Amino acid sequence: MARDRSWKLFLALLFMLGCGGGERAGTENRGTQQAVAKEEPAVQTTGDWLIIHSLSDPEQLNPLTSNDSASSDVLGYIFEGLLTRNPRTLELKPFIAEARPAVSKDKLIYTFTIRRDVRFQDGRPLTGEDVLFSIKAIKCPLVNAPFLRVYYNSVVDAQLVDPYTIRFVTKEPYFLNEEVLGGITLLPRHYYDPENLLKTVSVRDLGKEPSQLPDHVKRFSDDFNKNYGRNPMGSGPYTFRSWKTGQQLDLVRDPEYWGNGKPGIDQPYLDLLKFRIINNYDAALVTLKSGGLDYMERLEPVQHVRGTSSERFKRQFQKLEYYSPTYSYIGWNNAHPIFGDKRVRKAMTYFTNRKQMVKTILFGLGEVVDSPIYFFRPEYDKTLPSYPYDPKKGLGLLREAGWSDTDGDGVLDKVIDGRKVPFRFEIKFNSGNATRKSAALTLQDELKKHGIVATVRELDWTIFLDDVKNHKFDAVILGWAMGVGDPDAYQVWHSSQAANKGSNAISYKNPRVDHILEEYRREFDPKKRIELYREFQRILDDEQPYTFLFIGKLVSAVQRRLRGVEVLPGGLRPIEWWVPVSAQKYGNRVTAN
Amino acid sequence: MVSYLLQRLVLLVPTFIGVTLIGFLIMRLAPGDPAELRAAGGLRGAAGAGISLEKRGVVDEALVQWRAQYGLDRPMHIQYAIWVKNLFTLNFGESFKDNQPVWHKILERLPVTVKLNIFSILLVYIVAIPLGIYSATHLNSWSDQTATFGAFVLFAVPLVWAATMAIVFLCGGDFLYLFPPGGLNSLDYSPDWPLWEKVSDQAWYLFLPVVLLSYDGFAGLSRYMRASMLEVLGQDFVRVARAKGLSERVVILKHVLRNSLIPLVTILASILPGLIGGSVIIETVFSIPGLGQLGYEAVLARDYPTVLTLFTVSALLTLIGILLSDILLVLVDPRIAFGRRGQ
Repeated sequence: MARDRSWKLFLALLFMLGCGGGERAGTENRGTQQAVAKEEPAVQTTGDWLIIHSLSDPEQLNPLTSNDSASSDVLGYIFEGLLTRNPRTLELKPFIAEARPAVSKDKLIYTFTIRRDVRFQDGRPLTGEDVLFSIKAIKCPLVNAPFLRVYYNSVVDAQLVDPYTIRFVTKEPYFLNEEVLGGITLLPRHYYDPENLLKTVSVRDLGKEPSQLPDHVKRFSDDFNKNYGRNPMGSGPYTFRSWKTGQQLDLVRDPEYWGNGKPGIDQPYLDLLKFRIINNYDAALVTLKSGGLDYMERLEPVQHVRGTSSERFKRQFQKLEYYSPTYSYIGWNNAHPIFGDKRVRKAMTYFTNRKQMVKTILFGLGEVVDSPIYFFRPEYDKTLPSYPYDPKKGLGLLREAGWSDTDGDGVLDKVIDGRKVPFRFEIKFNSGNATRKSAALTLQDELKKHGIVATVRELDWTIFLDDVKNHKFDAVILGWAMGVGDPDAYQVWHSSQAANKGSNAISYKNPRVDHILEEYRREFDPKKRIELYREFQRILDDEQPYTFLFIGKLVSAVQRRLRGVEVLPGGLRPIEWWVPVSAQKYGNRVTAN
Repeated sequence: MVSYLLQRLVLLVPTFIGVTLIGFLIMRLAPGDPAELRAAGGLRGAAGAGISLEKRGVVDEALVQWRAQYGLDRPMHIQYAIWVKNLFTLNFGESFKDNQPVWHKILERLPVTVKLNIFSILLVYIVAIPLGIYSATHLNSWSDQTATFGAFVLFAVPLVWAATMAIVFLCGGDFLYLFPPGGLNSLDYSPDWPLWEKVSDQAWYLFLPVVLLSYDGFAGLSRYMRASMLEVLGQDFVRVARAKGLSERVVILKHVLRNSLIPLVTILASILPGLIGGSVIIETVFSIPGLGQLGYEAVLARDYPTVLTLFTVSALLTLIGILLSDILLVLVDPRIAFGRRGQ
């Protein structure tokens, strides 16, 4: 009988892929990320494994030179920083530091005091020397970490005050400097630089031209770039054990973890975290169902709707839906003769049926947004007027802006700078992104009804990016990751960022917005920052430089034997999970490979 | 024979250089920039929502640094010269992805791919040759036509589809659980297992990939075999053999089969490069960390050193394969001689 149902499900999957419709999985409303599955208030206990799906191998496990999400997923269990965020309130809190840093009056100098009870995984204590080494390694221009280094451009110098106190000097007052410094990955100096080659250079020296650096710095960098890709060692709760390329990667709970039993520090319970590398979602889902995986962080939307709704699946796994802080948008080139007019941009938003897009393109797994700020942030303005799908209003705005079909060829036109311009433009997006493609086609279809000709163009990622950077587009569909921390919209919206291939690719320029963005960065009072950004959002809402589309939702599946599974603002946190002894599947067996 | 071999070996050099030049140009002139891809947070970042793009403004400086680190800021012809120079000293460079020597990465994945390919080539030959013989000896019979039809149907089934169906239906999930849905070993596999268990575990994991990798080869090779048999069957010496009163079995298996195997020797040339070629589709669907996967990911990430090394190695193996099959041809077929005939 179960077989019958599965057959039907399978046929449905075959024939309806991409057609949309069908049964809608239950979605909650936005407001709070929903908390689930706190069934029995039993005592947390150690033991058992968690087998985690990973879509690809980490690039490498050197925390400074790797720059991909698969690596950071793994490294987060091995390394720690001076500060961390409270996963529930998102507030910064001390971690390896005893307290949040003392900041000087001019907001340039940050002094951190380091806990004295922290030990690396080899038992040696973590001291200020290790922190100083870590910032030197990041700042060293020969270390292959240019993409990480840009975040630390603001750090000019660092010195030890005493063995457990370190002082950082920054270039200019900026409220996010604390977070940047708190996020330095702390590396054991004795392990990553056994000869202490960086001892004699200062952070200031490292800011010089690479060619002027002494030879031993080069020797350190070569060694560091090459020999630490597969043997990470930090102070975190899990130690690295093995990595079989393309198959699996094992992390083992460190029984000697310095944070064991310490209040305010995450207590790890699972004995083994096994990342299984399965590079396609179909096979991963089958592996999950057959017991070879315990946790898939991401199910494809179609798998959520059709492959995982059986009773049998629900008995074994819980599915969790939550927002991932990334939004999609249509960017209008504000320097374009047609889209320079805000009435036209507003009309475009009225023509965009965003609710329908969420329903059909995202299978309901998403939410329409109207602002670049993540809606769980206090800066987000909940009173922002949204633009409904309303073609009549859109047409009204276009007429007001002087667009009409004067020659009867079915396409709107207008005289701009003495020339008659028809309303034709091109929407660009990167190939291989089905969501963006569907959004573009939906809009194209709608605009056709109103006498606007939009052509749709798919481009290879790097070529697309080049066009975007060089402002060679009329309209683009893209996405921004927002992060759950304090936002800083300067790079995307400040007029100075429109030049030199900056992130303000649509050339948005508004003096008031410029002023707000500059003030915000210098403002150390969170309440005032919120006020500033609310105003910023209202201006954007009125000018519609982007048509904001939607935020997508992730759907995760977790084996039911795991307890403590909770959706937090930043997603799921396996570090908090545990399995009651009676339900343990692998027990305390950690020896197997 | 020695002078012939020398001649052939010398000829390999310009061919090889031509091949590397073309390979280098194709790879380097293809649009795409490895530095950009790395800045975007690896492949996943680039394919996904365009994450990490917010760093854009400050990242350009980093891109310049990164390119300089790998010598990508130099003129193209100099880069080619450096690369070829390194090739001749067997220095294949380091991967952009993790700074590991490319050669290590290839050696790490080589055993899996070779294992997979040896089994599948064997399977293809074991099935296709008897099938071809049968078809040729039962020409246009009902069974010949069924076999032909079947082989072509298999040939036409897209591998991705077949592999996905196999996973969905045979590997747990909601249907049968006969084989594992991917990987190479059981989760609790350990090198201390007794040999028999190790072998059976491996067989269990490799069965589906090998079968799927082979089935579309059945059509090609069995057609080849059939055509070759038919050609020989029509020749006079076969009639003579039959007229002598030899049994049909001896005629077919001893006289016809032997002679019709000669053209198959040429196919051997493609086996050598095929051994390391790897199948992108099978390795991706079954999450098998082989060379196909490595090459495919390297192309997407524009990891030039890895792609070019794989390319060079398979070009070299192809050239060697051709040379070997030429030599073998002379050995099995006395009508062909080394060098120019009659000299």
